[in-house]
Amino acid sequence: MKRRIGQDEDEIDRMLELQPRILPSAGFTSSLMKAIRLEAAAPPPILFPWKRALPGLAAGAFALALVVVVTVVAVRSSQPISAGSLSFSSFLSTVRIEERLQGAVSWTFLALVVTFLSVKLSMRLAASQA
Amino acid sequence: MSASEDLSDVERVLAGDIAAFEGIVLRWQGPLINLGYRFCQDRGRAEELAQEAFLRCYRALARWRRDAAFSTWLFALATNLYRTELRRIPPRTQSLDEIAEPADARVFDEGLEDKDRDLVVRRALVALPAKYREVLILFYFHDMDVAAAALSLGLPEGTIKARLFRGREILRSKLAQMLAAPRFKEA
Repeated sequence: MKRRIGQDEDEIDRMLELQPRILPSAGFTSSLMKAIRLEAAAPPPILFPWKRALPGLAAGAFALALVVVVTVVAVRSSQPISAGSLSFSSFLSTVRIEERLQGAVSWTFLALVVTFLSVKLSMRLAASQA
Repeated sequence: MSASEDLSDVERVLAGDIAAFEGIVLRWQGPLINLGYRFCQDRGRAEELAQEAFLRCYRALARWRRDAAFSTWLFALATNLYRTELRRIPPRTQSLDEIAEPADARVFDEGLEDKDRDLVVRRALVALPAKYREVLILFYFHDMDVAAAALSLGLPEGTIKARLFRGREILRSKLAQMLAAPRFKEA
């Protein structure tokens, strides 16, 4: 009968178990220890300045919350007003609020973009100095 | 390999004696290089992977919790690194269908030379889908210990057993296929 490797489970086990073993090359330990010593001698990496960034992050979070609130208010105020409740003064006040809200949203968005860019720039500068 | 030697060396390194790390390297360089070699079948790359694993081990030494053996922690760290690195830059592989059959298929029937047979099996192993290959490599590397392979891969033992079964099925069918359809590559 012909010998069939594929039909013999033990044969696969044996072949996979007996994978050739290699020895480390001569300079492996010394070059690795050299790298370890360099690693030990290197100054610790610059940590992200959380304390300094905290006010900025808090301001960002506040601005984000503000945007959410303003958006919700804007959406609510833009809903159609029923004919019965419509009066000239309420119409004027709604228009004024909407104008203010639109201005606030744009400024908040701009502030968020500037904050994001400044954080990214400072992180990049810190990374390049590390 | 002594767990107490590992513990002693780790404590010395953590106390500032960097030279003590050499003891760890000397004890574990062989297994880590061989583990890398099984993953990539490339000696040079296996050494690079092992070097990176030792560097990461050095950096993370303080995070080793003594509840697991140092070797278990080291193998888990190395396995994780090897898997990540080989997914980033895969080793040169052929798909299972592309694996060349020997020039004279009669050699199989008459019993392959051990060297040729090992080469065919290794190529078939490297060409397996990663999730099966990793489990097979770790299982046989750890002397067929499912629990050890599970710890190294950070997977439940049940998953290891299922992947092991499926991986061996794929491997077996490929090898059987190669034998069942002998053909001559060259006259």
